[in-house]
Amino acid sequence: MPQPAIGVRLPRAVAPRPQSSIDVWQPSPATLALFLGPAILVFAGFTAYPVLRTFYNSLYLVGPKGASGFVGLHNFSQVLRADPVFWTAVRNTAIFTLVGTPLDVFGGLLLALCLFAGVPFARSLRVIWFLPVLMSYVVVGIIWVWIYDYDWGALNLLLHAIGLGRLEHSWLGDPATALWAVMAAHLWKWLGFNMIVFLAALHALPGDVLGAAELDNCGWIAKTIYIIIPMLRPTLVNLLVLSFIGKMMIFDLVWIMTQGGPLWSTETVSTYVYKRAFDWNTFDLGYPSAIAVLWFIIIIAFVIVISWLLRQRDQLEF
Amino acid sequence: MRPMQFWLSYVRRTPLLLFLLAYTVLTGGPFLWVAAMSLRTTSEIFANPYGLPRHPHWANFVDAWVGSNYSTYFWNSSLVVVSAVAGVTVIGAMAAHCLARYRFRSRRMIRFVILSGLVLPPQMLILSLFQILLDYQLYDTLPGLSIVYIATQLGMTIYLLEGFFSQIPQDLFDAARMDGYSDFEIFWRITLPIGVPAIFTTVILNFVILWNEFLYAVVLMTSDDKRTLPLGIMHFMGDHQLDVAMLATGLMIAIIPIALIYACFSETMIRGMTAGAVR
Amino acid sequence: MAVVSLDRLSKQYTAGGDFAVREVSLAVADGEFMILLGPSGCGKTSVLRMIAGLEPITSGAVSIDGRIMNQVPARDRDIAMVFQSYALYPHMSVRDNLAFGLRRRNVSPTEVARRVHQVAGRLGLLPLLARKPHALSGGQRQRVALGRAIIRQPKVFLFDEPLSNLDAALRVGTRAEISRQQREIGTTTIYVTHDQAEAMTIGHRICIMNAGEVMQIGAPMDVYRSPANAFVARFLGNPPMNLLPAMLEPGGDHARVHLAGMMFDLQQWPVGGLQAHLNREVTLGIRPEDLYENPTAPMPRLRVHVRAIEPLGAETILLLAAGEQHHELVARVGRETSFRIGEWRDIAFDLGAVHLFDASSGMAVSRPAV
Repeated sequence: MPQPAIGVRLPRAVAPRPQSSIDVWQPSPATLALFLGPAILVFAGFTAYPVLRTFYNSLYLVGPKGASGFVGLHNFSQVLRADPVFWTAVRNTAIFTLVGTPLDVFGGLLLALCLFAGVPFARSLRVIWFLPVLMSYVVVGIIWVWIYDYDWGALNLLLHAIGLGRLEHSWLGDPATALWAVMAAHLWKWLGFNMIVFLAALHALPGDVLGAAELDNCGWIAKTIYIIIPMLRPTLVNLLVLSFIGKMMIFDLVWIMTQGGPLWSTETVSTYVYKRAFDWNTFDLGYPSAIAVLWFIIIIAFVIVISWLLRQRDQLEF
Repeated sequence: MRPMQFWLSYVRRTPLLLFLLAYTVLTGGPFLWVAAMSLRTTSEIFANPYGLPRHPHWANFVDAWVGSNYSTYFWNSSLVVVSAVAGVTVIGAMAAHCLARYRFRSRRMIRFVILSGLVLPPQMLILSLFQILLDYQLYDTLPGLSIVYIATQLGMTIYLLEGFFSQIPQDLFDAARMDGYSDFEIFWRITLPIGVPAIFTTVILNFVILWNEFLYAVVLMTSDDKRTLPLGIMHFMGDHQLDVAMLATGLMIAIIPIALIYACFSETMIRGMTAGAVR
Repeated sequence: MAVVSLDRLSKQYTAGGDFAVREVSLAVADGEFMILLGPSGCGKTSVLRMIAGLEPITSGAVSIDGRIMNQVPARDRDIAMVFQSYALYPHMSVRDNLAFGLRRRNVSPTEVARRVHQVAGRLGLLPLLARKPHALSGGQRQRVALGRAIIRQPKVFLFDEPLSNLDAALRVGTRAEISRQQREIGTTTIYVTHDQAEAMTIGHRICIMNAGEVMQIGAPMDVYRSPANAFVARFLGNPPMNLLPAMLEPGGDHARVHLAGMMFDLQQWPVGGLQAHLNREVTLGIRPEDLYENPTAPMPRLRVHVRAIEPLGAETILLLAAGEQHHELVARVGRETSFRIGEWRDIAFDLGAVHLFDASSGMAVSRPAV
């Protein structure tokens, strides 16, 4: 007995719905207000508005009673042309960032590769390595101030103990070494973070591809250079950008360890902004606002350029 | 041949193991050192900076707590951080749910704007926030700082939660719709319970970040009785640079809450803070 | 071109744990296409990886051309492998994927270019040489993986379920392609799969594994016709062989079997060699194609209840139940059938095609010589 062919369209029994058919996932204004409202309010009031106001301030002389005199781009030209401290701060921040970022990221990569090569306890040890990341800059800063202490600090004592006593220094007191000392402390805090991120990325690599590389006559070194690092590229770029941004904005650690001294050798753009605003003989928020705006634009420009240069031309799908 | 292989692999790996051991000591050592110092007197420390406490001076903690105002700092930090974390979690979860679930015209723009807040340097905000808080009598107040903290962490919180919420299968929500649940009920009964792991992660992350926060606190608080813990320690450092024992005790007061949370939730914390960077 | 032999190969993933591979012994002749067949988790991939050197060996030995390879690192074994996931280098073009292994072995650039061109031409990859893996379809990626193995001209090819990620249509075409390539090149090949259709069609010999052990080794049709145990009997053949409990009894000079409430004479099973199994339960096996609705020759019949009918176009599958206990029986008959669901009918079966298995061990009872 032949069955009726399935797939016959039944005629529509119901007339199509009128215009007001609602997409259930289109929110009513009340819903939007309830869910998104508070966030938008907070954002508008304490993030968006301050940013706009900073731009505004940068064009004015801003005294204790608020903006008092429109100066247009005068602040900016002062900053760029007549402010040696600004340029020192820029230099310091640039050194800090351009040296610190590769050290940070590639150091983390190196450590992660060493671990990945198959060392036991990696899982439990990483709990310890992550500790500095979780600690306040106050804690990190004070610990390292103590380590760098001339009389009883661990560094000088260590140098003395291994016979390099003549290298003992007042690390934070000597303008030649202060910036590097702060950089080392910063590295100590963040190396673990990069290492753990890379470790996670390494473990996410497809095992078969590494197996195929083995069969293609790759020892550990060849595998690392030709296969592992290229496949880690997205993570690498991510961390480089993150590290870059973080170092360009560095404030806490410098403030705690040296306050920008000695003799401006550790002055960074952000500490200078703070000092100009709150630690200067004249109270004017316009000038530091201009510095902040300038620096913001520079950071954004750099991030865009770096991301574009290092972008993946195709996706690394695997 | 077997035992030889075994030994060879250890020999080859020894430099690696030594290096890792050194790194572990370098990373964890300082904390142990600070812990030891917090239980000694300053004179003991100067006599022998790296020794162990002869008799643990628990009194240090009492002194710090009562005498040196650390209790005030601790409570200030607790109040501000707990209220800020609570606030940002509620506000952030609702916003994240809305962005993840609903379709509306300005959705992409709002998302973009809120997330762009993530790359904003603090310097762009502190000066204006200083002015704003002054204007509204919120300068040098705990509520003022708390609201600022909510704003600073909102971007990250929404980013993390929206990512998670948008992966909850749409079918659950469609079914709830057909069962007649209202918008708020859907949020309350479906998104929240399922989103607990992600929410938990953001709570911990926000707590750690805000507990340690320094810059905004330094700009927006001045009176001693309003200081948060990091500020308090810095202030103490400025006045009593040489009282190393008391400083160490103060550091421990700052470290211990984080260390406790970390001891319980290390995996969650590590994964939560690093997952965003892995591609 | 090489001889691969496995001598009591075993693998434990955790010390003192279960054996994933247990005492597997196998000899693959030069130029032979050997298939390792078995269900998921039977250990066949572990065996393959141990041959490749990607997995340490717990005990036993892997030899290639008589030389024991246990301690030899993977890259010195002169083996190429095609992975289930293809494992192409995602950041390299097809050309670089093919050339990589050769370059790492310091083959001269002109030779590399020549071989790349030759292999790419052979597999139809010439227009794709500049593309990266993510821009290729599944079938194309598979061919690149194949090319990467071929180009090295190794002694042994290893395939780990290379077709399981392809859709059905592509699978049939590609497996014919692999078979053809292997015949032309003539390299010794070991191929792992769980698909018995693949195994039957492309291998010279198959080695069936279950739970880490070898069940049977032999040419596909030999194993099909003479399965060594009930597992092999059911694993090969689609629909699988029917296995029914029965009682073996003596009946003069040949055995008789008590099946589904009826008694049948097994003319071709002389009592002489069956002492151990007489008056005992056995498992009787009969393949669906050996059940007939309208036999051309006279055959004994079994009373069955028709449960379901599956007309497949070229043939019809009947799901039947036999006897008091309603033992399931699957039959494969012609394009049309007169059977209807719910009826009680008779189905004929070819006594000469019956298999007997020991009821407890599952081992085949071989038909004693007359």
